[in-house]
Amino acid sequence: MDKKIGLYICTGCSIGDSIDVEKSVNIAKNALKVPVVKSHFALCGKEGLDLINNDIKNEGVNTVVIAACSGRVKYEEFDFPGSLVERVSLRELAVWTQEPKSEEANLAAADYIKMGVIKAQKGDIPEPYMMETVKTILVIGGGISGMTGALRAAQAGYQVVLVEKEDRLGGFINKLYKKVPAATGEFKEPLIVDTDIDLTIKEVESNPKIKVFKSAKVEKTEGQPGQFDVTITSNGNSEVLKIGSIILAAGWRPYDANKLQHLGYGKSKDVVTNIEFEEIARRGNIKRPSDGKEAKRVAFIQCAGQRDPNHLPYCSAMCCTTSLKQAKYVRQDPDATAMILYKDIRTPGNLEYYYKAAQNDPGVMLTKGDVTGVAEAGNGNLYVEMENSLLGDKVKVEADLVVLATGIVPATVDDPILNLKYRQGPGLPDLELFDGFADSNFICFQYETRRTGVYAAGCVRQPMNIAEAQEDATGAALKAIQSAEHVAKGVAVHPRAWDVTWPDPFMQRCTSCKRCTEECPFGAIDEDEKGTPFFKPGRCRRCATCMGACPERIISFKDYHVDMIGAMMKNVSVPEEDDRPRIIVLACENDAYPAIDTAALKHMKIDPAVRIIQLRCLGSTNLVWIADALSRGVDGMLLLGCKFGENYQCHFAKGSELAEYRLSKVQETLGRLQLEAERVGMVQIAIDEYDTVPAIIDKFVARVKEIGPNPFKGF
Amino acid sequence: MAEETMEQIIKPDLNFVKDIIASGGESLKKCYQCSTCTVVCSVTPDEKPFPRKEMLYAQWGMKDKLISNPDVWLCHQCSDCTAYCPRGAKPGEVLGAIRKMTIEEYSPTPFAKMAGDPKYLLVLFAIPILLFLSYIVPKGYLDFSAIPRGEDGGIVYAKFMPIFPQIDVTFSLATFFALACFVIGIKKYWSAMSAGMQLKGSLTDSIKTAIIDILTHKNFQKCTVTKDRSTAHLLVFYAFLGLAITTSWAIAYLYGHEFFGLTATSLFHFGESPYPLYDPMKILANASALTLFTGITLVAMNRAKNSPKAGGGSYFDWLFIMVIFAIVITGILSEVLRLANIEGVAYPVYFMHLVFIFFLIAYAPFSKMAHMVYRTTAMVFARQAGRE
Repeated sequence: MDKKIGLYICTGCSIGDSIDVEKSVNIAKNALKVPVVKSHFALCGKEGLDLINNDIKNEGVNTVVIAACSGRVKYEEFDFPGSLVERVSLRELAVWTQEPKSEEANLAAADYIKMGVIKAQKGDIPEPYMMETVKTILVIGGGISGMTGALRAAQAGYQVVLVEKEDRLGGFINKLYKKVPAATGEFKEPLIVDTDIDLTIKEVESNPKIKVFKSAKVEKTEGQPGQFDVTITSNGNSEVLKIGSIILAAGWRPYDANKLQHLGYGKSKDVVTNIEFEEIARRGNIKRPSDGKEAKRVAFIQCAGQRDPNHLPYCSAMCCTTSLKQAKYVRQDPDATAMILYKDIRTPGNLEYYYKAAQNDPGVMLTKGDVTGVAEAGNGNLYVEMENSLLGDKVKVEADLVVLATGIVPATVDDPILNLKYRQGPGLPDLELFDGFADSNFICFQYETRRTGVYAAGCVRQPMNIAEAQEDATGAALKAIQSAEHVAKGVAVHPRAWDVTWPDPFMQRCTSCKRCTEECPFGAIDEDEKGTPFFKPGRCRRCATCMGACPERIISFKDYHVDMIGAMMKNVSVPEEDDRPRIIVLACENDAYPAIDTAALKHMKIDPAVRIIQLRCLGSTNLVWIADALSRGVDGMLLLGCKFGENYQCHFAKGSELAEYRLSKVQETLGRLQLEAERVGMVQIAIDEYDTVPAIIDKFVARVKEIGPNPFKGF
Repeated sequence: MAEETMEQIIKPDLNFVKDIIASGGESLKKCYQCSTCTVVCSVTPDEKPFPRKEMLYAQWGMKDKLISNPDVWLCHQCSDCTAYCPRGAKPGEVLGAIRKMTIEEYSPTPFAKMAGDPKYLLVLFAIPILLFLSYIVPKGYLDFSAIPRGEDGGIVYAKFMPIFPQIDVTFSLATFFALACFVIGIKKYWSAMSAGMQLKGSLTDSIKTAIIDILTHKNFQKCTVTKDRSTAHLLVFYAFLGLAITTSWAIAYLYGHEFFGLTATSLFHFGESPYPLYDPMKILANASALTLFTGITLVAMNRAKNSPKAGGGSYFDWLFIMVIFAIVITGILSEVLRLANIEGVAYPVYFMHLVFIFFLIAYAPFSKMAHMVYRTTAMVFARQAGRE
């Protein structure tokens, strides 16, 4: 499009007191040749905005560059539909973090304005990627999570397809005798109530918006959000349905108790798991499996095969409450006692009151101790051997029935379930980070998975109880609805929700190296029969990791591409003096840049040697930028991004990790250019570590100063 | 405490748990073993402290671990633990209930169960009432005018209820009975506690130290929430001591005169009762009575004041307090009414005075009075077992 740029410099927020705005206006008009350059003392106010709108209406300005505050604020004010808008963060980067009225501050202001104008010149207004989509929601799993998700989505007005692998809905609740009552403050008798699962099942099966498939599984999932082609197979028949987004509520299975022989399982018939105990309770009085006699002394062993590096390393969250509930089953016989042997009792939240209420029964006994084994007592009963308990250093608790509180293993451990026909594989990647659960790091990613359009809920995501699962499913349903709606509008979802851009590769120059395909954290790129990659924009989160990966630099977004950032770097001022280094900082928009903004808000001073450029994700760092910048005489480059690794915070899951990996490759290139590898570095930072920003930058600047100025300076 | 054998077998006794709950430990099941009570307790030894483990033993119905346990009696019921318990489990009250059950366990005879059960109160009172009635009814003394008076026409209680043999034989038998039960009880308790344990140190030293601790009320000073108990109990304790000395002194006056022919001097009035008020024995007696009255009133008031934080106490506790109240009030009134010559009230009050004293002494091994013996035993044992 034919661009007419209008540059508006705000002098408010002490900008006018710190830099020579007149000078900036002159530079913009004469050196940068910007046709319209104005300044105002309060651009975000009515008068300032009118000024801009007037220029758009009457002066033909169609590209607006606002040199004022950070792009993370006042975005509602500086919204000019139909125009391309670029924000230059003069206030944060050239005023609040610099010495006022200094030469360095003015130089910084000039550089940032120049970079902003270049960015505006190189960018274009994006159009959404429209395709034919449906908004039907697929729910995999017909347990309480799946059914709740389906009901909520149907309630919101969406068509739902529910796939259940058993021949009836209800999941594990079908096996329960009773459940814990709803938590409304302190718990009062009765402490065990009917599950009423048939009511929920009836609600689902009679809902006209929900189509239920029983004895069915997902054979394969092809396509992309909005256009998923899901093949559902049931009793030999297959059906392909068009789906908008997916809720994964495939649930769990119990830990295999045959691995707990040391606790007597498999050796004695009277040692059962908590699920098996529910089934015993459902059949009437609690009877011993071995001889059918009524059990009068039932021992519960908590954390059976859990919180144990040899079995499940985690806690399954619901088993302590379950054992307390099952103790009340035992106490339906007033002469029976229930003895709960625990490492800790975990009844989170309001369930602490359930613990208090359930415990207030003389026949429910609890003690902390380390259970070392279960042996025959010789009289038909069993001894639970326990150490380090207040009852005694080494004791044997006599019981006629032993219940092992075994844990939850998510369905994703055994089966990919989704069976995605994605080049990166049929299931969700990197589940070992979460012990097999389809989870992600909550603070950035609740219900999210590394496959766009797929949202996890219930025990497949995290161990939880019935009430929590219902809440979880509601959240996942809302996310699934959001995903279907967004892809219908052609815009992105979390974390770049409402982004209208999409990756557009210039396929003529593609060499099919497949780096983009392998590195995309979301598996958004597949390949055809010839091995040529092709994009599925519905799966894309717009992080631009593919853009950073591509050695041919063929991938671009309308307002974000390699050439744009490269040009910004190439036009930064490089001081001639040897003792005045120039360092470029690439900061990702999710944690690093906001940390810098917050440091600026606190008026912390940042070394004037740096010029900060905001990236969508460090994963979009293309190595050519390093070559470009260093060959221009820039003395060093620092990448600041979200943390990666086991407790990752990277909002695109893999971006910062990939950037570090690429940097290790570039050290070689730098060596060949006779440049020191330490000129380029990367630091992980979290958004709350803003107070460390000046120190991090100081340290890097000091290191670069130590190495000495770039030999290419002045070339 | 009885030492556990290796691999002790745990078989909880549900009925014992229910008994503790019925005996005043009804909040027992609220305890979740957080250990705040043992941290707050100022009298517990540092190793294997109480009352936390006692709460657990009680919840698990482990009777043998509780009744063979000196810790239960080392506790002075200062109730700091009850005040600080975050769950409202009232460990102080629970230990009080366990002490009651220990008394029941070690004192044989049917009286053990009766002393702790309000159902039997009338029966327990009926015994002394009928006994003392049997002394006066045949003589027709229900008609007060028939009772002989003193030389000066004043009321002489000894003519209403003769000292020998009625009072002295009755009370001596009651005392011997109580002592016998105590001896049996202490022996059983001591052997239960010391089973499998090494005791060291001299027994006499331990007894000496325990007695000194008791006389100074050292452990009472350690309470925080109910520290006024220290004063109240001190008064009651020394009042009882004073009354014990008084009784022996009065016996010396009577039998010194009867058997050794000693006669009254200006200071010491050997002879029959009543004795003049300026006699040092009477002075001690009246001082002790007033001290006892003050003390027991403070005890009751403190309990009422502290009950929201420290728990209200059980039937067992209050019966004991009420009996002492009754003794001191009837005692003071007996003297006052005698001197005021109001025979219609004086004789009945004196009668009840005797009944209450009998109640206290005869049932001492079964009522809360037994604490004076069991707690002392536990304190001596703790010294021997190196548990201080």
